[in-house]
Amino acid sequence: MMMNIFFMAAACYVIGIFTLLLPHRWQKAAHYTACLAAMTGSALVTYNAALVLLDLLQPAAVHWGSYSLACDKWSAAFLLLTGCAGIITSIYALGYALSYLGKRLRLLGALWNLFLGSMVFVVLAGDAFSFLLFWEIMAVASFLLVNHEAEKRVTWNAAYQYLVMTHIGTAAIMIAFLLTGTYSASFAFADMADNTLSAGMGSIVFMAAFIGFALKAGLVPLHVWLPNAHPAAPSHVSALMSGVMLKIALYGFGRFVFYFLPAWNYWWCIIVMLAGLISAFLGVLYAQMETDIKRILAYSSVENMGIIFAAFGCGMLLQVTAGGSWGTIGFMAALVHCYNHSVIKVLMFMSAGSIMHATGSKNLELFGGLLRKLPYTAACCFAGCMALSALPFTGGFIGEWMTLQSFITLAYNGYGQDIRLWCSLAFILLGFTGALALGCFVRFFGIAFLGRARSQIAEQAHESDAFMLFAMGISTVLIFVLGIYSAPLLTVLSGVLAVDTAFYMPGIADVLQSGGELLQAYGAVLVLVLAVTAVCFAVAVSMAKKAYVASDVTWNCGTIPTARQQYSATGFSKPLRRAFDYLLKPKREVSYVRKDNPYFGRLLSYKLEIPDMITQKLYLPLQKYFVVSSAFLRRLQQGSVRLYVSYVMAAMIAVLIWGAIYK
Amino acid sequence: MEFLVVTLMFIVFLQTRIMDLKRGIFCLSIQSALIAAACLAVGMSHGGGIHAFLPGMLTIAVKVIFIPYAILKVVRQLSDEKEIASDINVNYSTAAAACFLALSYVVLDSLLPGVQGRDIVASSIFMIMTGLTLIVMRSRAIMQMIGLITMENGIYLLGLIMTEGLPLIIELGIFLDVLIAVVILVILTSRLRLSFKTTDTNVLRKLKG
Repeated sequence: MMMNIFFMAAACYVIGIFTLLLPHRWQKAAHYTACLAAMTGSALVTYNAALVLLDLLQPAAVHWGSYSLACDKWSAAFLLLTGCAGIITSIYALGYALSYLGKRLRLLGALWNLFLGSMVFVVLAGDAFSFLLFWEIMAVASFLLVNHEAEKRVTWNAAYQYLVMTHIGTAAIMIAFLLTGTYSASFAFADMADNTLSAGMGSIVFMAAFIGFALKAGLVPLHVWLPNAHPAAPSHVSALMSGVMLKIALYGFGRFVFYFLPAWNYWWCIIVMLAGLISAFLGVLYAQMETDIKRILAYSSVENMGIIFAAFGCGMLLQVTAGGSWGTIGFMAALVHCYNHSVIKVLMFMSAGSIMHATGSKNLELFGGLLRKLPYTAACCFAGCMALSALPFTGGFIGEWMTLQSFITLAYNGYGQDIRLWCSLAFILLGFTGALALGCFVRFFGIAFLGRARSQIAEQAHESDAFMLFAMGISTVLIFVLGIYSAPLLTVLSGVLAVDTAFYMPGIADVLQSGGELLQAYGAVLVLVLAVTAVCFAVAVSMAKKAYVASDVTWNCGTIPTARQQYSATGFSKPLRRAFDYLLKPKREVSYVRKDNPYFGRLLSYKLEIPDMITQKLYLPLQKYFVVSSAFLRRLQQGSVRLYVSYVMAAMIAVLIWGAIYK
Repeated sequence: MEFLVVTLMFIVFLQTRIMDLKRGIFCLSIQSALIAAACLAVGMSHGGGIHAFLPGMLTIAVKVIFIPYAILKVVRQLSDEKEIASDINVNYSTAAAACFLALSYVVLDSLLPGVQGRDIVASSIFMIMTGLTLIVMRSRAIMQMIGLITMENGIYLLGLIMTEGLPLIIELGIFLDVLIAVVILVILTSRLRLSFKTTDTNVLRKLKG
């Protein structure tokens, strides 16, 4: 019964895929059909996942021979997320994708459906083979979507980098599945849960799974594909990739950690936590340095996935060192932040899409004063920036609050002195992350929307169409709903962990609104401080109207302020570049283009480049090594037939001698 | 039988020393004739009949007459009839052949101690190895073809002695195989001559990826 709705959703996606076959002159019709199909499918998925989460439906697996589809609560949690994001982004796509009219629009719609459908079925897969199959379809569909604007060299470079990286990840996941399956009765997840992995083998499986899923989630140092792939893809695709696909990685990782590897090692938890913390810190640091708006958002995804994995690792560590059901708070934090980050990142990529749609550029340095041109987009984007900076009353705040709470719980309840040490490290890094994120999105919003227009394109910007604004509006509302009234979501999600993993902490939903003082987010003091601030602000604004009546320009040294005198995006992040010089290693190049006199009449050229440290220190040497070793192998491939025959001969003699010695 | 085998080994040794194409083909013909004689001898010892004679007769028809004739026809069209530009000295191939002769006896004694017809099996391994050596060390297409037939003869001899006569249909199949291989090689060689004015396979090195 219950699977039928999922199959109906699949049918919708298939209809969406088949719009590819419509003739070219019907491409608009194909586009609308594809988007509507994707929306309907996602709505069905959302509906059914919600039913499962609310215990209104009993999950029943569907089997075909040794392959199966199943839906438990852990899957349903991610299906709900996929469905919600699918609906919102499909509405957005109705308007946004029209800019690809005549540029393979039908292909875009079909791939869009394929991508959504594959993500739904990855989560529904009930055995290793189906999981890997849909995982690969997801990878290929997202590769093709990233590669959609293949005329640009940057795009296909990014797309191929993504393809290579994702296949390395798939290889690692495959190793993990095959090893687990070898020690189980069959490759069905139900059987793999009763595996007989030894401790050593378990560690190998864990590391392989972690590498594979961390690569998809974009954790440092496996994140290199992410800041390239997101800017290359169409915006609604980036929204879906960042909002959902990265979370699917957490689904897979949780599947391994909760179901296949129940006996956790202390060091596994530390690895997950540290990888998360470092990703969070480095991700936001690089986000601060970028001037491409979609790259900023991509690095911000690295940061948030880092926070999610840090919370997850913290939960594991709590479970290992504190025991009981303490781990639940960490896992809850990870899951809640997954939801919130999904909604926020979908909104932010849609806003970025609107800006790109309005201006035709994604260079932050060219914008400015967009607030007047795109008021609705600006409002939505402001909400998104608030949420990504984890300001109160937004969804982002709840997730990060719970993450910090889980680390405090770990420091308080964890057993052992080393835990305190790890926790202090975590607090330092999370503190940096929070502060840098705030700076990053103040910069993002301030440079793009405030001040004066820095270029012609910003002056000619226009507001997006109704579909795009509607989709962004829904996300904005969701962000505030999740931030202010998050109890229902928390209740439902605590059910996910309680039922499936036997961890249960009573009253998790009370944590935020009315729960124990220790964990309360909106405490009396906070609300008071906020109320006082708001009142002061209101008073200041009303006073200010009287205070600044004169509109004349003073103290401008006889010049009229121009757009060039504003803070630029690069200038804004300069102090941080100085402070973290040892990490970022920026390359500055200053040269005189013209120098008539020592003090005036000079024209300077200033080039600033911040190479990605991980690429420089890890990937380039690796690439160099591969090139050198292939040059060595080339000596064996001389192109001479006689040489090849002599290889055969050498092999034959070797076999004869080998046979004679060890007969 | 032993007498035949010893003669065969000498002929194969001689094969490694010959640089002139026509003499090489003549030598190959003799070598195949010896194989045919061995084949007939085995057939006789198993008691006559069509099955005893047919393989021997086919060997004579295909390997002693047709193949040398076909290769000779190609050689007549060539102007440079010698393996002049062999970059590896003939002595090396002879020395290699000698090594392989010793090796084949050692390997055989270790693998199948006390096997019936020890010399024949050893000589067949020796022929396979020497055929490969010829392919590797000669650069002329004709000489490489001779190496291939030598190898083929070795394999045939091994099959003959180990199974004491294969089913007739398989024997026919083997002959058809060899025949087609030689036809293709002859065509390729004359193509090579037309395209490059030489049958030196070193020119084919340009086909490098």
